[in-house]
Amino acid sequence: MTGVIVAAVLVVAAVGLSRASRIGLERELVLAAVRAGVQLTVVGAIVALVFEHAGLAWAFVAVMLGAASLTSGRRLRGTPHATARAAAAIALGAAAAIVPLLATGAFDTAPRELVPIAGILIGGAMVATSVTGRRLIDRAEEDRAGVEARLALGASVPEALAPTVRQAVTTAMIPILDQTKNVGLVTLPGTFVGLILGGATPAEAARVQLTVLLALLAVELVAALAAARLTVAGLRAPGERVVIRP
Amino acid sequence: MQLELDDIALARGALSGISLTLRGGELTALEGPSGIGKTSLLRAIVRLDEPAAGRVRVDGEDARELDPRVLRRRVGFVAQAPAMLPGTVRDNLAYALPEPPDEARLRTALEAAALEAGFLDRDAARLSGGEQARVAIARALTREPGALLLDEPTASLDPTATAAIEQLLRDLAARGLAVLVVTHDAAQAERIADHTVRL
Repeated sequence: MTGVIVAAVLVVAAVGLSRASRIGLERELVLAAVRAGVQLTVVGAIVALVFEHAGLAWAFVAVMLGAASLTSGRRLRGTPHATARAAAAIALGAAAAIVPLLATGAFDTAPRELVPIAGILIGGAMVATSVTGRRLIDRAEEDRAGVEARLALGASVPEALAPTVRQAVTTAMIPILDQTKNVGLVTLPGTFVGLILGGATPAEAARVQLTVLLALLAVELVAALAAARLTVAGLRAPGERVVIRP
Repeated sequence: MQLELDDIALARGALSGISLTLRGGELTALEGPSGIGKTSLLRAIVRLDEPAAGRVRVDGEDARELDPRVLRRRVGFVAQAPAMLPGTVRDNLAYALPEPPDEARLRTALEAAALEAGFLDRDAARLSGGEQARVAIARALTREPGALLLDEPTASLDPTATAAIEQLLRDLAARGLAVLVVTHDAAQAERIADHTVRL
């Protein structure tokens, strides 16, 4: 609790600093701090409840998947049923790691393990889906002349969009590739820090972090490829044309 | 090849009731002011746009009954200021051909577009507007289509390049292709076309 009090005092100091230097961020700072306090208290209470009941843990995972699908679905605007496409890509990506990790006993289905691991993997799949889908739709729009040149030469829509798909998937994979390559050198990821602060040994924390990072490589690639395939299908109109909905 | 447009109406633009027949060996010009829907009409023939009404027939077959990919190999389409695909002229020409591309076919298409063999290994993005127009025509010819549709093929070219492309289009018609050229330039239509349709 001392930590929270000290941090709150720091916010009050930041508000004072903002006023003194006439930046005008006082309201924003207070609002952000209050929101964070309320949201984390509520989530803390829910997670405490979820940790007590195994059934609720799966419901919580379903809620995470739903929220992630809504978020990515907005990025896939331009295709029909964008949220459903996002949900399928995220679920497929996350399942690609969650299923083998649980089946082999690497992680337990106990809520205390399932919820945070599923959260990290669903989060990774969400970002890969959003970036791939958005990038693909934007590039298809920007390079309409190139795409139509390929169609006019007798290519199918997936063939005409193949270079765009490659670019989009590569872009989506950059953050996780760079994070994995530089782990420990540039950043200490959240899982590692959390476990250390929670009392785990550095070796244990490193093992779990490595498992998560390696799993994320697969999760994000599967999600990105699924998102690309589903986005291409969404852009493909009868008559072998590319139609981006307004 | 015979390409028939039967009472075509476009979804966008004001054009409706368009009927015309293109025959192999003839060059037809479609002439009219900008914005009237000439481009949309060309796109509708190869189904890059769907016409609101009417029918396109390719050698008597309803174009809607054909696989669009097959239709587009039989009827070549060259867009205005055509996009070059990344890579060399060879990459552009080989795009529509099965791997590995038949070298003889590449050279025939190149020759038909009045480009020398030395062009094959040049970077397509670095060519002049007139050269890119020729590459786009050569690219459309690799699958040996029966008809070729061109949208303002000389719009951004200087007089010399324009004259060369006009001669090329006449040559293609003389080789037996049904050629349809969209132009806003009445004098050009007069110079090159066997028939002119004014919109």
